[in-house]
Amino acid sequence: MSRLKWQAVVAGVGGQGVLFVSRALASAVEPKAGAILISEVHGMAQRGGAVVSHLKAGKFSGPLVSPGQADLLLALDPGEAVRNLDQLAAGGWLVVNAPDLEFLSPKAKKALASFGAQVLTVPATELAGQAGTAKGANVVILGAAAAAGALPVKLGELEQAICQGQPQARAQANRKLLALGAEAAAQV
Amino acid sequence: MSPKNKVRKEILMGNQALGRGLVENGVSVMTAYPGTPSSEILPSVVHYGAELKTPPYCEWSVNEKVAVEVALSAAYTGQRSAVAMKMVGLNVALDPVMSSAYIGVIGGMIIISADDPGPHSSQTEQDSRLLAHFAKLPVLDPDSPAMARDLVGPAFALSERFQIPVMIRPTLRVCHGRQNLNLRQPKELERTPVFKRDPFRWAAIPKMRLALHHALNAKLAKIQDYLSKSKSLNKWHAPLRPRAPLGILASGVSAALTRDLLAELGLPVEEGKIPFLQTAAPYPLPVGPVSELINGCRRVLVLEETEPVLELLAPQRDSLWGRGSGHVPSAGELTPEVLGEVLERALGEAKLKAPRPRGKILTVPDQPPMRRPNLCPGCSHRAVFYSMRRALPTGVYPSDIGCYTLGMNQGAVDTCHDMGAAVTFASALSRGLNQAKDETPVVATIGDSTFFHSGITGLVNAVYNGSRFVLVILDNETTSMTGMQPTPESGLTADGHPGNALDIKKLVEGCGVRWLAELDPYQMGDLQKTLKKAWRWCKGPEGSVAVIIARHACAAQRPKDAVASPCKVEVAGQAEAVKTSFKPKDNPCADCGRCVAVCPAGALTRVGKGRIKIDQAKCTGCRLCAEVCPTGTMVLEPAGACVACGLCSTWFSCPALAKDARGYISIDRGWCVDCGLCAEVCAHGAIAPMEESK
Repeated sequence: MSRLKWQAVVAGVGGQGVLFVSRALASAVEPKAGAILISEVHGMAQRGGAVVSHLKAGKFSGPLVSPGQADLLLALDPGEAVRNLDQLAAGGWLVVNAPDLEFLSPKAKKALASFGAQVLTVPATELAGQAGTAKGANVVILGAAAAAGALPVKLGELEQAICQGQPQARAQANRKLLALGAEAAAQV
Repeated sequence: MSPKNKVRKEILMGNQALGRGLVENGVSVMTAYPGTPSSEILPSVVHYGAELKTPPYCEWSVNEKVAVEVALSAAYTGQRSAVAMKMVGLNVALDPVMSSAYIGVIGGMIIISADDPGPHSSQTEQDSRLLAHFAKLPVLDPDSPAMARDLVGPAFALSERFQIPVMIRPTLRVCHGRQNLNLRQPKELERTPVFKRDPFRWAAIPKMRLALHHALNAKLAKIQDYLSKSKSLNKWHAPLRPRAPLGILASGVSAALTRDLLAELGLPVEEGKIPFLQTAAPYPLPVGPVSELINGCRRVLVLEETEPVLELLAPQRDSLWGRGSGHVPSAGELTPEVLGEVLERALGEAKLKAPRPRGKILTVPDQPPMRRPNLCPGCSHRAVFYSMRRALPTGVYPSDIGCYTLGMNQGAVDTCHDMGAAVTFASALSRGLNQAKDETPVVATIGDSTFFHSGITGLVNAVYNGSRFVLVILDNETTSMTGMQPTPESGLTADGHPGNALDIKKLVEGCGVRWLAELDPYQMGDLQKTLKKAWRWCKGPEGSVAVIIARHACAAQRPKDAVASPCKVEVAGQAEAVKTSFKPKDNPCADCGRCVAVCPAGALTRVGKGRIKIDQAKCTGCRLCAEVCPTGTMVLEPAGACVACGLCSTWFSCPALAKDARGYISIDRGWCVDCGLCAEVCAHGAIAPMEESK
């Protein structure tokens, strides 16, 4: 069996749970990839600044994704999606926490369309808010990404990686948020 | 296999991996002062040490110099010790570090100095490997969390074999990288500490130091030979090949990223097209393998962070491409983007073709503006900075290193240099201004942990030398920026061994300060009065340094204590801004100057006795001048609604105050923690507590 080689960039703003997302993705893909490398940002940048985390699963040596190499750009904030678009590989997935692509300028929209990326927009903050936990937007968007096929693992594998070892109430809440995201992805 | 001996695989952060490595290799004394990117190393030693019968002794030391001395003397007694810090901490610790090379150790000692190329969270991009060279200490340079853990054993072995402290220099990408690795069994060496009196060594006088220096040089030559022969520390990712036009010499994260980039370019190291030597020991440079590489290739590209160390230490430098030749940038992190360009240029100049040139990269116009970090909502520092600008608006504000450097967003931080410099800068600035008969108030801010670290000596100096300024100690009872490590004030210790709490107030009194106030900065009115009173005393005949201890729980660490009585606020609608007006005919001006001083826009000028000129173009209609005018000469009625003046967003700068395209404010409920402080900021009464919480 050839091992998985997969690279993702997770972007957002301090407090949105960027690091949770990259760690969840890492544990979900670890059985398929074997080796895991993640890069995180701590300190000053966490105080409301832009936060970005790189994940390289499989046979890699360095912790940072090269421009144009990310199989997935998952953005919890539309502005941070724009800032990190150069990471995306041709044919890669852009999954962004936004109702649509209106956050892009017409020029940027055109550039994205001709680049050949696959795009999934999810109003994750809104959906999580309706479920009573706006902070759960990061889990909602993960559910959507898995259901849309933007991840190398299935929704069930992701759910297991996230909920494993969590207290029951927390796991229950996360299952609900993942399902919300999956449902939203199915409607697109 | 018993469950205890079962191999556990875990995804560890680089700092956890270092902590794990120290415990796996029998460290018995661990010290540190927190600093990004090194802060998680010591807590990991505490965490993994708990698996042992006698866990290592761990302490958060008051500063890095103290931390090095504690760890060093433990190594004198034969125990294995380690000390961790960020690289600017190494500057603070350099005094004992320099001597440690001469005197040496008995038990193994590791100095971990974490570098921050970028810099992401630091004042400089300095390279600790150069300081290791300067101090004549061997240094190891890991490229990943796994390698960081794996270098701990060889570092202790090297340290004990040659009786010299060894530095491990991880960079931020190692410290805050994560990698899955197999955990090994923690080791307990059960060495009893013994201090063997030997004043000729431990207390060597200058004459003996010369002999020690000769001995050190001989030792370093032996270490160089030992490192040259090491197969594990010098890895040939691709072997030498005859007449190679280009070879690569690399260390640290650059070595790891370059391997990935070569694979992306279709030149994976496994195919061996480009000879590639990675050394984990930049100093003393393993001259054997390095010379072999340089002699065997027409050109050698040297990739390392952040300064040229391999490059400068290389025995022959004529054929090197690096910082000296301009192939590698001399500032900034070597990201994949930068390294990609460096590699492409080097391949091109060496007439080598990349089978897979780098692919299409999506570039879009209209990049979003930079996001500035900000203090957390509910943070009491914000109240202090706002109060400083309100009470002493014409002041200069030296500040220091910590979360509160972000007071810059509120225009209340004028200097930020190194730990403790707020106090010394304030001391010198106030003296200079005083000499020039300039009455500009000087108000310095310093955090509690920074005060313990390096503020005390500056305060003693300022009191002794008769400086006059106000020092505000921002006491949130923790070291916030680096992750809530306890300070001496709490009496809590890193591993739970019994400690003693220190009282900042008594400490300040002990420094000879004669004017001291303690208060809760959430009482912004009181704070403003106290600031004015303090400065009046400073200027007076008996004046000296006045200290205000502003104590309030950290909003990130203890949100419930920070916002003990929540108050939900709302914005009461929008109105057009009206400019202020000066009406001395109705009420004569008292010529007090308050309006001119307080105006955030600089729109008011005194043009004669009791005459103020308003620059209508600059006036934002914020109404502060009318609010402070004692005679009612400055006139502007409160609008009772937001007029988009921008006062709250600039002077209070809370992430929960959202500004729309026209400058009108709304409360962002995603951020707001109901501290209610912003209601006191708006002079139009536009931000007010909601009815139900009144």
